[in-house]
Amino acid sequence: MTENKNDIKNYSDLGFMCGLEIHQRLATAEKLFCSCPTHGAKETTRLDPEISRYQRAVAGELGDVDRSALFEEKKRTRFVYRVNNEASCIVDLDEEPPHGMNNDALAVALSIAKSLGMTIPDELEPMRKEVVDGSNPSAFQRTTKVGMNGRITINDHEVLITGMMLEEESAGIIEKGEDSTVYDTSRIGIPLVEIDTYPYLRSPSEAKNVALRIGLLLRLTGKVQRGIGSIRQDVNVSISGGARTEIKGLQEVNTIDGFIENEVKRQQALLALKEEAESRGLGDPDRVIDITARLHSTSVRIVANELRAGGVVLGVRIPFGGGLLGREINPDRRLGSEISDYAKMGGVNGIIHSDEDLAAYGFSESELKEVRAALSVKPGDAFILIAGSKAKVYVAMDFALQRVSMVRQGVPLETRGVLNTDTCTTRFLRPLPGGSRMYPETDLTPINVTGDMLARAMTDAPNPALEEEQLMKDIGNAATTQQLLLSSYLQLYHNIASKTTADRRFVANVLLQKFTELRRAGYSVDVIGEQRIVDVFSRYSSAKITKQGVEEIIKLLSKKDASVDAAIKELGAGRISGKDLERLVEKVSAELQDASPELLAKAIMSKHRLNVDGEELHLMLKRLSK
Amino acid sequence: MYSKKILEAINKEDVKIGGRLHIVKGGTEYEGILMPRPESGDHEILIIKQDDGYNIGLRYSGEKISKLPSMERKTAPNKPKHATASGLPRVTLLYTGGTIGSKVDYLTGGVKVLTTPEELIGEVPELGDIAEVHVVDLMHTFSEDITHFEWGAIAEAIENAFSSGSRGVVVAMGTDTMHYTSAAISFMLQDPPGPVVITGAQRSSDRGSSDAFTNLACAVALAAEGKPIGVGTCMHAGSSDETCVFIKGTRSRKMHTSRRDAFRPINSLPAATINVLTKEITYSALPPQDTHHISAKTGFESKTALVKVHPNADPKILDYYTDDGYKGIIIEGTGLGHVPVFTQHEEYSWAEAIRKAVKKGVLVGMTSQCINGRVNKNVYSTARTLASLGVIYCEDMMPEVAYIKLGWLLGNYGVEDARRLLNKNMVGEISNRITYTED
Repeated sequence: MTENKNDIKNYSDLGFMCGLEIHQRLATAEKLFCSCPTHGAKETTRLDPEISRYQRAVAGELGDVDRSALFEEKKRTRFVYRVNNEASCIVDLDEEPPHGMNNDALAVALSIAKSLGMTIPDELEPMRKEVVDGSNPSAFQRTTKVGMNGRITINDHEVLITGMMLEEESAGIIEKGEDSTVYDTSRIGIPLVEIDTYPYLRSPSEAKNVALRIGLLLRLTGKVQRGIGSIRQDVNVSISGGARTEIKGLQEVNTIDGFIENEVKRQQALLALKEEAESRGLGDPDRVIDITARLHSTSVRIVANELRAGGVVLGVRIPFGGGLLGREINPDRRLGSEISDYAKMGGVNGIIHSDEDLAAYGFSESELKEVRAALSVKPGDAFILIAGSKAKVYVAMDFALQRVSMVRQGVPLETRGVLNTDTCTTRFLRPLPGGSRMYPETDLTPINVTGDMLARAMTDAPNPALEEEQLMKDIGNAATTQQLLLSSYLQLYHNIASKTTADRRFVANVLLQKFTELRRAGYSVDVIGEQRIVDVFSRYSSAKITKQGVEEIIKLLSKKDASVDAAIKELGAGRISGKDLERLVEKVSAELQDASPELLAKAIMSKHRLNVDGEELHLMLKRLSK
Repeated sequence: MYSKKILEAINKEDVKIGGRLHIVKGGTEYEGILMPRPESGDHEILIIKQDDGYNIGLRYSGEKISKLPSMERKTAPNKPKHATASGLPRVTLLYTGGTIGSKVDYLTGGVKVLTTPEELIGEVPELGDIAEVHVVDLMHTFSEDITHFEWGAIAEAIENAFSSGSRGVVVAMGTDTMHYTSAAISFMLQDPPGPVVITGAQRSSDRGSSDAFTNLACAVALAAEGKPIGVGTCMHAGSSDETCVFIKGTRSRKMHTSRRDAFRPINSLPAATINVLTKEITYSALPPQDTHHISAKTGFESKTALVKVHPNADPKILDYYTDDGYKGIIIEGTGLGHVPVFTQHEEYSWAEAIRKAVKKGVLVGMTSQCINGRVNKNVYSTARTLASLGVIYCEDMMPEVAYIKLGWLLGNYGVEDARRLLNKNMVGEISNRITYTED
């Protein structure tokens, strides 16, 4: 966890600015503003009721309309909400005003605020943050600032936290079509805390360490959800001459540094492109021309398909743009891919541009000649083609050309999403939202923070130092302690420790090493469920199974929805111990007359590996041999 | 409202609501915009909008407040400008209150009516392609505060709108008592020459998910077509933004406290449906196409009451009305139209109080709290007794509509006409047939 000093120096020279936003779902029984459960709902199917809505950008509190909100409205998407009645009520569907704020969620949030040394406002003011991408049926997210000005110390360096918000989770996407997006309602309204740092993180690895540390703090509350999507990190990155880019929804904390490094490279590449564009005198794109007639009998499949469906092809010349669109700016990403991302916002599949292998698309030499002529393309120019329905191509071309014109600006202000977790690359999602999309939630009254609430927050505040000390005492191994502290299994570990007397070090080793090993070997240990894992250790600690048995049972449970006792029975993994073991020893020693204790142990273990605890057998043989 | 202490402190430093301030409290510095304090909150709490858009509340205990220069407002792109196309039909939009057709000024907390066509079209751009909308800012009244005086004013304003050339009229109002208003206007105007479409919103128009925009656009589309379909409400048909329904004014009732599709046709079907996207209108049946000259009859007998019966209800409530000089009472009875008559506990029998009222000349009408279905005076002896006492059985008319009809009849006609007309259909409030529907 040490930061490399050179690393920090190098990034500082680049004018590196980086901040984190960490979003963590809380594991309260009920949602933030209604009494729906926060987990355990069945998945929706096509048979569930659906509601369809449209959303539009409305002015913020100070009369401004947010640019990302306008952008979403321009897309005019139909939002379909598949209603999960097990997990949502009409509050979630924006058909009933919110009930009061969930007290448990607020208590957890306040305890985290205390742990981060934050100032808590005397009165909390619930706000609406406008979000018109359909992810919330109300077109806003309810969010309340519960703490400000916190700090967290990492490797003797103090990292400043701007604030913490308690807010509602949004709907999960089921599918995203060209004109409509389908959402599942079950997740809407689950309480979520957002913790933001100041943009002064000094290197990608420092950002990762801060995320790990805050993640630990959150898990120590014992009140956070686990599993895919329950924690999400957003990072904001910029370098000198670049612009703030927000990368949203990083779920795997260990890739945070990789994404930040690539974003720095992307901005450097875009700045280099800007310089080149300036020196070449890259001009505004020419007039957009409908070249459908020139390609009416083309064999380029993606174009022909659109034309058969009644679509058109638009083309545009970019003076002096030749070669720029093909320039790589991130692993496997070119300027052309960025432009294509913008075009896709218009509902088309992408663009075709002159720096691509056009022959591979199926363009003939004569077709290309026709296209170049129609667009008046001269040597050194670039061109872009977009095929699609008439209703979409003009909007798509408009978006694409917006991106082209930004080449001279360098790095556009963008919100980006994950494209590929292996290469740590991102893609454009929407323009970066401005700050003017908040207004008061008038359906709720402000919350007075009482002395009692603050006292309880103080008592409940997670304390990582104390936790580390206690774990070290229980486990007795510094490396395992550190690993467990930062692992997502900490809560499960405590659950097992509180309900069973199983050896703590064994529990930690199974959760950390054995689980990883099994996962790599293809066992889906993550589907077993907390209760069954607790049961396994409970059977172990009451001497019903052996250490070997634990592993085999976990393997079986990862493949079968059976109870632990059923699994023990199926595997014949019941532990043989005490008098039964004595009888077994007698029987085997009678079979193998005069065998040495070592030979006896070997013989018994080879047959009853799952059922006999090696240590118990060893002690028994020692006793008997006396 | 801030406390005197806070007001003095901010006035001293010339900090205005909406202006920037700086304050140090408990060692922490705060900067931001001073927001207004709603009437209901703790008056000693300063609400500050921080630069990230969040509001926080700080208890003020005499800390030093200083004024900061206002930050330059970042200019966000304006809403695209739309103009009204020429040659479109003229539609009058009567604004009476409620969140529809208005915009919240978050700084002052006030509600601003969108009075100019430009402002209105700025918020609901599609209106510019449907009609030439003429806005009349009639009143700003919560619908629960509306009385028969306001109904009269609305009816007269509608009459004026038609006589000055509007093809249809849209009335924007709060939804709580929209169905009372729609019934009252139905009687007051009888057969207006064009559509009178009453609309509102279940979600306020400051949110991107509001139904205000679609309801208003559909209402204007219906008004612009100019078919003489009478008075009715136009709101969402379901929870989706797919279809709006026009329901006859005497058949519409708010059946849900908060859902978008709260307004439901009772004992009838919608008169028209409007596609939210295409604005295509489908009429279920059209009245005769002849035009009428209207002359609003806006009288209303305020001494009219609506009384709900329930187990243990004290009949003395009727005596109160009778003794106070009331001219008409509509009873919202149980089932097919009953009140306790043959109870073993004489003090709970309503028979005597009804006899007394009728004897004094009070018109007593019977409806059902079942809302759906028709009352019947023959099935049970209770009803036969009540009818023989002079209670008028009001067919399949909703209790609220019967109440309004009785008040209107008594306000514009003699008692005998009122008695004769109460259970006869006038503007679609009563029908002889209730057809079967699945839900």
